[in-house]
Amino acid sequence: MGALAEILFGGLFQGSLYAMMAVGLALVWTTIGVFNFSHGVFMMLGAYLAWQLVETGLHPAAAFPLAVLATAAVGWLLQATVVRPLIGRANLVLVVVITTLAAGSLIENGVLTIWGPRSKQLPPLVDGNTMIGSIGVSLHQIAIIVVTPLILGALWMFLTRTRLGLALRAVAQNEDASQLVGLNVTALYGLAFAIAAALACLAGIFMGGYRFMSPVMGADPLLKALIVVVFGGISSISGPIFAAYLIGFFEAACSYYFGLYWTPALLFAVLILTLMVRPEGIFSSRSRGLA
Amino acid sequence: MMDTAGRNLRSPGRTPWQREAAGFVLGLAVLALMPFVFADSYSRHILIMAFIYAIVASNWDLSLGYGGVFNFGHLALFGIGVYAYALLTKLAGLDPWLALAASGVVATLAAVLVTIPILRLKGIYIILVTFGFAQLVMQVIISQSEITGGTQGIVRIPGLYLFDHNMVRDGKIGYFGIALALLAASTIFLRVLVRSRTGASIVALRDNEEYAISRGVSLVRQRLITLAASAFFTGVAGAFYAAYQRNASIDVFGMSLATIVLSMVLLGGTGTIYGAIIASFVLTIFAEAMADFGAWRPMITAVLIIVVMLVYPSGLVGMIQAAWAGLTGRLKRPA
Repeated sequence: MGALAEILFGGLFQGSLYAMMAVGLALVWTTIGVFNFSHGVFMMLGAYLAWQLVETGLHPAAAFPLAVLATAAVGWLLQATVVRPLIGRANLVLVVVITTLAAGSLIENGVLTIWGPRSKQLPPLVDGNTMIGSIGVSLHQIAIIVVTPLILGALWMFLTRTRLGLALRAVAQNEDASQLVGLNVTALYGLAFAIAAALACLAGIFMGGYRFMSPVMGADPLLKALIVVVFGGISSISGPIFAAYLIGFFEAACSYYFGLYWTPALLFAVLILTLMVRPEGIFSSRSRGLA
Repeated sequence: MMDTAGRNLRSPGRTPWQREAAGFVLGLAVLALMPFVFADSYSRHILIMAFIYAIVASNWDLSLGYGGVFNFGHLALFGIGVYAYALLTKLAGLDPWLALAASGVVATLAAVLVTIPILRLKGIYIILVTFGFAQLVMQVIISQSEITGGTQGIVRIPGLYLFDHNMVRDGKIGYFGIALALLAASTIFLRVLVRSRTGASIVALRDNEEYAISRGVSLVRQRLITLAASAFFTGVAGAFYAAYQRNASIDVFGMSLATIVLSMVLLGGTGTIYGAIIASFVLTIFAEAMADFGAWRPMITAVLIIVVMLVYPSGLVGMIQAAWAGLTGRLKRPA
């Protein structure tokens, strides 16, 4: 009973973080058709910005939204400088991988220079601990588990119910047709990147509330998010969300039964197996779209 | 000739081979004279590192530039060479020279293994599988810490030897010679391969897969050949790196090294082999010149990479070709 509860809780908690990261990756992939390898750096930058704002004396309730906005702005800026000028290149996918990697390294070392290597921690969303059955958990973790589906639900409503969201999905489905009906495709590219960065920043704030922050803290969540989007299907939003929780459960179960050392290897084995059997992801139909 | 994307569309073997061979010998002679110009062991160390990077980058150019395979696991082949050499010499007690060759074979086998899942895939999916492969290799090495030393790495790996020559107290001239010989062998191998019929069919697959297959080129066989061929000298370079540094660590699987070597390939201009080699020299020396800049060094390098990607997509070789064409007054054919 204790084992099952631990795996379920761990899976829900990790899955929430992965979902926040993976949806951003998938959003950028579906709209622009590129993979943002600086996504993990957004997460780290968001956490550091939030930390700086809290440190200057702002209440977390004001600091966190401000950090999210600031990270979204950085996301937009990155898109405008190292992604948009490359659109139309024949080897776009590859070149964007290298430019986003380089931009990520630039931001990472910038953060290291500004804030130094000493570990920092953010205040938790909710203070305190509690017991669920036989396992002890922090209220911060429970808050993440509750808040994440709400945020993703809000994103879902935005994408399916608002004109702007529909425009984003239109660009994802057919860029040329979107341009023909008068959508500002360039601005929508920027929006996709900004939303992705905002989600990554939230994930960073979540993570910074229970673990020490470091300039390389985004690397591991980025890898997990990569596994998630491949597993769930790169070209949808719902696929990665389900996949994030599945991978979260899988990871929790693996580390329980096989130990921490083998878990990453098993996860990557799942990644490679998925790509061999169903490269479009297990939840995805074969068409490219945003739903 | 360049297309708008900056890819080099010149068919392999357009330059007469005699002229290329003459240029190659000249370049080799210039490099061979380097240690007599720069007699201190620090400069020689930089050159040795540049040669190692040049081997890794130019072999990556074979699969990436010529094959059009977005292989993101190339550095894992280098890392496999490092660890294969370390384990073969330290645990199995194999002769360093035999271990050097065997490491190349091990890397080639690993490349064949990773080619199997990507045979059906394209573009971003190949990036993800090969990236996953690199991570998988690293995780296996970390998890087998009683053999591989885990995150601590392996130290005191046996070095190479040359008869009675003392490689430790010769101002690195011995290692310089071996590194240069490896680079020369690797470059001859790559250039002969890309100028051959096999090389032409690899390029054909890259440029028009459907047409090449309909003309009887086997995608499976050519892709296996491309990745296996790019792996051998990469593995040997890894083994040489381990023998030279005398330690192995999982840093070789990290993103920062992969980013630097990938930018050498792209900075040089893909599909040229020589471009990757020239860019390796430029970037290594550039990075060393900024050794005192601390955290600013990776930042400056990152900005440099972005600027080159944005401004001159055909890379250094594209620049040199354009300058050469301008110099000799030859008109470029309109695109």
